Amino acid sequence: MSTTEKTYRSKVTQTEIDVQPPDHAMPAKREAEPLPVVEPARGFSAKWLALLSGIGCVAGFSLFEAVTIIESNFASSPVATSVLAAVLGVFVLSISTMTLGEVRGYRKVTQFIHRRPKLSELARNDARQATLDALQLHASQFTRHSYAEQCYKRFTGLLKADHSSAEIVEMYRQFVAQPVKAKASEVVKKESMASGSMAFISPNHLIQSLMILWIGMRTIKRVAKVYGLRPATAGNWKLMKILAQNLAAQSIFDLATDEMTNQLSGSLAAKLMENSAEAVAAGALNVRLGKTLMRLLEEEK
Amino acid sequence: MRNLLDSVLKPVRRASDAGSAQFAEWFMQSRHRFTITGLSRSGKSMLFTSLMTILKYRSEQQYQCLPLLRYLPMDLVENMWVEPLGDLPEFPVEEHMAALEQGEWPPATESVAGFQLTVRLRQTHGVKKYLLPFTDIVFEFIDYPGEWLTDLPMLDKSFTQWSDSAWAQQMNEPQNQFAKDWHEAVSSFDFEQPPTPDAINVLVSKYREYLLAAKAQGISMLQPGSFLIPGSGFDWQEYGFTPLPSRISSDLSSPWTQRFTHHFEVFQKNWLAALKQSTFRETDKQIILVDLFEGLNHSKSHLYQLRETLSNLAQTFVYGDPGWVQRHLLRQQKIAKVAFVATKSDLIPAAQKDNLLALLKDVTRGATAQLDKDEIQFEHFLVSAIQATDAGSNEQALRYVNSEGRYMEATFEPLPDSLKAMPADEHYPALPAGVPRDHLARILNGNGLDRLFQYLLED
Repeated sequence: MSTTEKTYRSKVTQTEIDVQPPDHAMPAKREAEPLPVVEPARGFSAKWLALLSGIGCVAGFSLFEAVTIIESNFASSPVATSVLAAVLGVFVLSISTMTLGEVRGYRKVTQFIHRRPKLSELARNDARQATLDALQLHASQFTRHSYAEQCYKRFTGLLKADHSSAEIVEMYRQFVAQPVKAKASEVVKKESMASGSMAFISPNHLIQSLMILWIGMRTIKRVAKVYGLRPATAGNWKLMKILAQNLAAQSIFDLATDEMTNQLSGSLAAKLMENSAEAVAAGALNVRLGKTLMRLLEEEK
Repeated sequence: MRNLLDSVLKPVRRASDAGSAQFAEWFMQSRHRFTITGLSRSGKSMLFTSLMTILKYRSEQQYQCLPLLRYLPMDLVENMWVEPLGDLPEFPVEEHMAALEQGEWPPATESVAGFQLTVRLRQTHGVKKYLLPFTDIVFEFIDYPGEWLTDLPMLDKSFTQWSDSAWAQQMNEPQNQFAKDWHEAVSSFDFEQPPTPDAINVLVSKYREYLLAAKAQGISMLQPGSFLIPGSGFDWQEYGFTPLPSRISSDLSSPWTQRFTHHFEVFQKNWLAALKQSTFRETDKQIILVDLFEGLNHSKSHLYQLRETLSNLAQTFVYGDPGWVQRHLLRQQKIAKVAFVATKSDLIPAAQKDNLLALLKDVTRGATAQLDKDEIQFEHFLVSAIQATDAGSNEQALRYVNSEGRYMEATFEPLPDSLKAMPADEHYPALPAGVPRDHLARILNGNGLDRLFQYLLED
């Protein structure tokens, strides 16, 4: 066959390289069960250490005093003094650690709320890397082994070089924001049930209020943990304060409770009714608390 | 008595079964008919193999493939199964996977195959959950040799029209480079002799030689493509024809024109019309696969020739939005959404993908103009059915294992973003990537299929 062979300049240069080609990993599997949140091995917590070393100090000084009284000649025993000094040292150290943790937790809450990504804005961003950086900055606040962190890891495993900002944000919503929200809703539901049950069985209003407060705090802590935030005690209180500002002071359930109590007073049936209404109100209040917190920790609208 | 009762109840039961099947089809099934249209070597078979494998692993083993495919959320997928499609032979996915296992790419398609893939989704809506507990998404796919596709425009032409247009195409770059022998053979051929089977055979054989040579050199618009593959059901040895020089084809009294017109009509009626009916059935979504690398590998004129082929093809399908009533009650199908897909996009560095996409848009310009006229939605995508390459040492480079097992690094100069920008004396040789050892993971890590199907499935 006669063909006119033209010569074309190649715009691809090729060289053999002496490295082994990498093996591609299979994509991550979706867990049928919710992602396992690996709790880090718990050591001796600072709180317990503080408490115990405090008790140790008191006991130690008491003992020291007792020993001094009994054995006045050994008032300046070097061994006992050093042991007591060591215990005191641990106590001071653990108190400091705890205080530092509280300060950090408190600051984390503010930082977390202010660093929430504005996803719809990021989706419009042409610079893909800037979008990834913004999401990474937010994710860097997730505590290790938290549900949010696990979801974020899964999300980063799915990213490809040609995904646009809009697609990245869509995937972030699908694989991080939505599962975290679903998990948090689950927690809120569970805690609200607990809150309602406690309110129902509480013998008096003081215990009931304390129970509701305790479960409220627990809800805050657990929901925050799902979002990858570990606010410590001071942070929890700060969240509680922010939530209180966000929550409407009075709910329709309180009014309903009061009204029903007025109408049906005295009888056992009335007591049952009152407790039921309070249980519903407590549960509903907890749901509102949880939902408000979720809104606060979610993407900035 | 029992027999009598049975004979009365049987039709009732049958009617009731048919009714419930119809009910299920109408209310619990969402049927999506896809035509995956692709020229020869555009990667249809690999795409099907990859799609079936990905969906299988996604559904059965919960691998997180296709993250952008929100239409089929993994949490809601209850089951997935493949069924034969009508009377079509089954798509040989197992054979293709076995070929990959042996380190060979799936063989080129030489006959038609099809399958129907059903994905069952759980219903999550409150009330709907109890009334219609699931929704089936049914996909219908047909694989066929790309050579058949190029023959479709011949259906609407007379022999003389086709002969003249085929002749004109052979005179253009780059076809004319490969048609010299054929043209010489026609010049020296004695058309005064009667068109005996032997004389016809001489001419047809010469024409086939040209077609095969041009195909080997990356030409896509070759008619009749059905003459090139053994799986075609048309007997070209008995009813062969070739384009004739216009001095012969314009003479309707010439025995050659008369004989070839007869053969051409047999080809149209017995082969093409039946083929269109069975294989190119009416669908509502069309994926047009384009192998830009075939053009980039050869020359600028190959890319122009590809654009012309795609423009011709766009005119052979029925486009239009049939609306709900026509689609569901009158069962009318028209192609309402089209995706132009550049396959094998893993064969260029990620930094060049924007240019490849722009080039795809430019190459499909003629076809999209047709769609614009019919107000049909269309979009362009880059897809790799398997991630056969790895990132290179810099942004413009990538690495791959070639067919000899050597690990190569290829550095690319910037790809042209339009036909105009492609230099006439330069080319981008296609990378002869071999099948990677970890091909399963690389299929599951393939790129762009999720984006493509999300576009086609979403309302």
